[in-house]
Amino acid sequence: MSLERPLTEADFSPAPGSAAAEQLTRPSLSFWQDAWRRLKSNTRAIISLYLIIGLAFFTLAGPLLWTQDPAAQDLDQISQAPALPKTARLVADYQPFAAPIVADHPSEPEDYPDELAAVAELSVLGAATTQSVKLTWAPVDQAGGYSIYRSERKPEGLLGLGLPLETVNAGNIVGFEDRLNLKSQPYYYSIVPTDGFDEFDVVTTIKVEPEQSITISQAVLQGLATPDDLPGQVIPLAFHPFGTDYLGRDILARLMQGARVSLFIGVVAPLIYVLFGVFYGGFAGYLGGKIDQILMRFADFVVALPFLLFMILFKIAFGIGPGESGVMPMLVALILLLWPATARLVRGQVLKIREQGYIEAARLLGGGSSYLILRHIIPNTMGVILVTLTFAVPSAIFTEAFLSFIGMGVAPPTPSWGSMCNEGVKTMLSHPHELFFPALFISITVLAFNLLGDGLTEALDSKMRTRDQ
Amino acid sequence: MLLSGLPNFIESTMTLRLIFCLLLCATQSHAFADAVDAASATVKIAIAQEPPQLNSMKATDQVSIFVLGHVMEGLTRYDRRGNLAPGVAERWELEDQSATFWLRKDAKWSNGDPVTAHDFVFAWRNVVNPSTASEYAFILYPVKNAEAINQGELPISDLGITAIDDHTLSVVLERPTGYFINLTAFITTFPVQEKFYQSRRDSYAADAKDMIYNGAFTLTDWVHSASLNMRKNPMYWNADAIKLNAIDADYITADTRARLNLFIDGKIAYTQLDGETYKDALNNQFRIKKFVTGSVYFLEYNYRPNRLTRNQNLRKAIQAAFDPEEFVNKVLQTPGNLPGRSLFPTWVKGVNATFRQEFPATVNKPDLVRARALLEQAKAELNVENIPPLIMLVSDSPTSTKQAEYMQGMLKTRLGLDIKIDVQTFKQRLAKMTSGDFDIVGAGWGPDFDDIMTFGDLFASWNLNNRGRYNNPEYDRLVRVAMNSSDPTTRMTAMAGLQTILYDEAVLLPMYEQGVIYLQHPKLKGMRRTVLGSDPDFTYARIAP
Repeated sequence: MSLERPLTEADFSPAPGSAAAEQLTRPSLSFWQDAWRRLKSNTRAIISLYLIIGLAFFTLAGPLLWTQDPAAQDLDQISQAPALPKTARLVADYQPFAAPIVADHPSEPEDYPDELAAVAELSVLGAATTQSVKLTWAPVDQAGGYSIYRSERKPEGLLGLGLPLETVNAGNIVGFEDRLNLKSQPYYYSIVPTDGFDEFDVVTTIKVEPEQSITISQAVLQGLATPDDLPGQVIPLAFHPFGTDYLGRDILARLMQGARVSLFIGVVAPLIYVLFGVFYGGFAGYLGGKIDQILMRFADFVVALPFLLFMILFKIAFGIGPGESGVMPMLVALILLLWPATARLVRGQVLKIREQGYIEAARLLGGGSSYLILRHIIPNTMGVILVTLTFAVPSAIFTEAFLSFIGMGVAPPTPSWGSMCNEGVKTMLSHPHELFFPALFISITVLAFNLLGDGLTEALDSKMRTRDQ
Repeated sequence: MLLSGLPNFIESTMTLRLIFCLLLCATQSHAFADAVDAASATVKIAIAQEPPQLNSMKATDQVSIFVLGHVMEGLTRYDRRGNLAPGVAERWELEDQSATFWLRKDAKWSNGDPVTAHDFVFAWRNVVNPSTASEYAFILYPVKNAEAINQGELPISDLGITAIDDHTLSVVLERPTGYFINLTAFITTFPVQEKFYQSRRDSYAADAKDMIYNGAFTLTDWVHSASLNMRKNPMYWNADAIKLNAIDADYITADTRARLNLFIDGKIAYTQLDGETYKDALNNQFRIKKFVTGSVYFLEYNYRPNRLTRNQNLRKAIQAAFDPEEFVNKVLQTPGNLPGRSLFPTWVKGVNATFRQEFPATVNKPDLVRARALLEQAKAELNVENIPPLIMLVSDSPTSTKQAEYMQGMLKTRLGLDIKIDVQTFKQRLAKMTSGDFDIVGAGWGPDFDDIMTFGDLFASWNLNNRGRYNNPEYDRLVRVAMNSSDPTTRMTAMAGLQTILYDEAVLLPMYEQGVIYLQHPKLKGMRRTVLGSDPDFTYARIAP
């Protein structure tokens, strides 16, 4: 077949432009969009991000939803473990108890008896409530007194009688009132007769289960009842979902208030010192030469300063009086002493980037210093900066927790997670929840920021960019 | 003695009597029988630390007082019920300005020499001698010229003590001192034999062989930092009444948990418990005992010029809002503590019974309405809309910060008062107390001798331990009345007047009387816990078979 059609002029004109050819089948991705896309595919990082958002919500909006006063002391529910809401019976205000005395019984034995009979007719006087448990018994012949014990477990014989509550030093006093930190749980009260000096090996035990109760004046003070309410009514007690601490303060409310201190230090301090470090390191790296040397030697000097010592010095220099919060000097100390790490990192990056070909090209095309820094250098160090920031946050939270733990941080009654741990660790064996919750929050926060930092490193590092494509 | 804010670890300043909780112990019968042995009448204990030295004229710490209380004896002593009883002195007579002691003829030193009146003269002169620098010299200040001699103004031979003959001792007093006899049971007044002392000089009482003893026991073996053994003294005049043959302090450790473990293993027959260890003791099914230490803890106010706490209605408002019952039951939580009602603890003796039985303290009923009204009055008097934050100085123990936090929260919710808590180490707190750098301070006071005056003169204007500089001429007058009289009724009535002033003016806020809990081997009987002197006292203890 031969070419029959002669070529015309038209054949040599440019083909008509087609929009379809220019069409991008996939949306174009900027650096940040790409990073975000890869961050999204990192499940751990995304969960951490949600956790951090949740923490921010917990800290800022939490106190609006959970309105209990973190400093209020609910003395009817001291060291309460996490539990469902409780109710309590209203009882009249406390009236002093006069122990019954058997008039015709001698108060002291005539001689030192060799044996004593066990206490008989041990019974509870009135209603057993968490405000008071009153016991009475029949006098023992030749007794010179009685010892009263309380145990949470059934005593076996003479062992394990539990806490010695009281020693009555007269054989004719046959009553006792217990008010010592009563909870609504079974107690075993044991009475041992004495000759006024030594206890004898006979014991009588009674099981008592006090009913949760609250006095009217306490209920009114806490806003749970009105003065017109009558004893005997059952009212709901203040609800503490995370339990209470050693003074009956709501742990959830304290965690929310404590989060403000912890996250304030944890976010504000790194933001400021990382920002400072970026400018300091960027300046040193870009200028280079002698100035770089001087600036970086100064940074080395700051690294060598002891943090704790300066923290204490600032506290004094700030004139922080007794009982005032040490959070501000802590913030200043963190900012003034921790920036060199960021500065070094950024300086290294800047030194590397400014020698790159595209910077040279931009300079040849007439780009000024400020254009080069803002357009090329800083955006390219952004990855490093963000990662430093996310790792600085948990370390600052830890520092705050540590300083509050050793008593250099917040002043009571303001809690922080660290100071709550400090208080909780004292009762770790008996009331583990007082340590568990603040420790859990510190752990979760630190872990979340660390995992997010990991995710950001992977998402922002250009060397890793090609790996998953 | 001044106490730090923490139970179980009492420290002192005026007397610098560092009290180291002495821990001695007992096992349950199911454990090894090492801790007590009925056949040889031996009891094994642990002591908190080694005595620095056992010179009775200089000793100040609790361990030395414990050991000396067993190996030495003064003119008087405490019997098994804790009452004052004849010691070296068979009988005595106390008159207004003098006292005479008749010493028993059968009192002997462990080397066989008789204990004579000269031994007391020598010891007492040495105590007040400024070159001895005894921190407890002030115990003897009721004796004529003692203070002047101690200040270096008079020679020691001017001390008002004379040996009329070997067995009669005459003491001239500076002023009528009703409680003088009680002082003679204290270690500082114990006799020292001049002949023996001169043979040892500086090494006196530095080792078991460098001492002679006149007490119920003798120190037979003292391995420094390791063990300290006491044996029954056959020369003791009342040796028949002593049932124990040996007290062996085989362990020297201040660690309460280590001591509890020793007790669990049956190595020791007695140990004191603290908040850390008592739950373990409960879990081990031990029989826990309790004891009231005799110390009171209270809040002291600052009365220096320009302090808000000078305002009586402010103090009374705090008093009316505070419920010591609630504090003891809900905040302290350990048994044995009594609600604070008065500066004078419940055990202090009165005329015939205890002081508090004869002169009951006003029971402070918490009354919020009254408290708030008082606070309004205070604000009006101080001419302020709101009371500025008050500074509460406490020591840095966990218990005292917890107590301070309770007070802070309580005063905030009930009265709207702001409190700032100033937590300081014991030493630093003391410095701040002395310089007056506080509004309210948590303080404690323990007895030095068995008389109400050990508490009574605490708020006298001349007392250096009155850190708030409370100054009330009527209070001072009543203290002088009690000091210058030997008639118990006059003295106790004056003290009752003090108690009323302290409550009515809310001079201080009593918080609690301290109690402690401890473990004791069930076969160990007759061990006496005491607020004064050697605690615990094993002198009349016995081992049940």
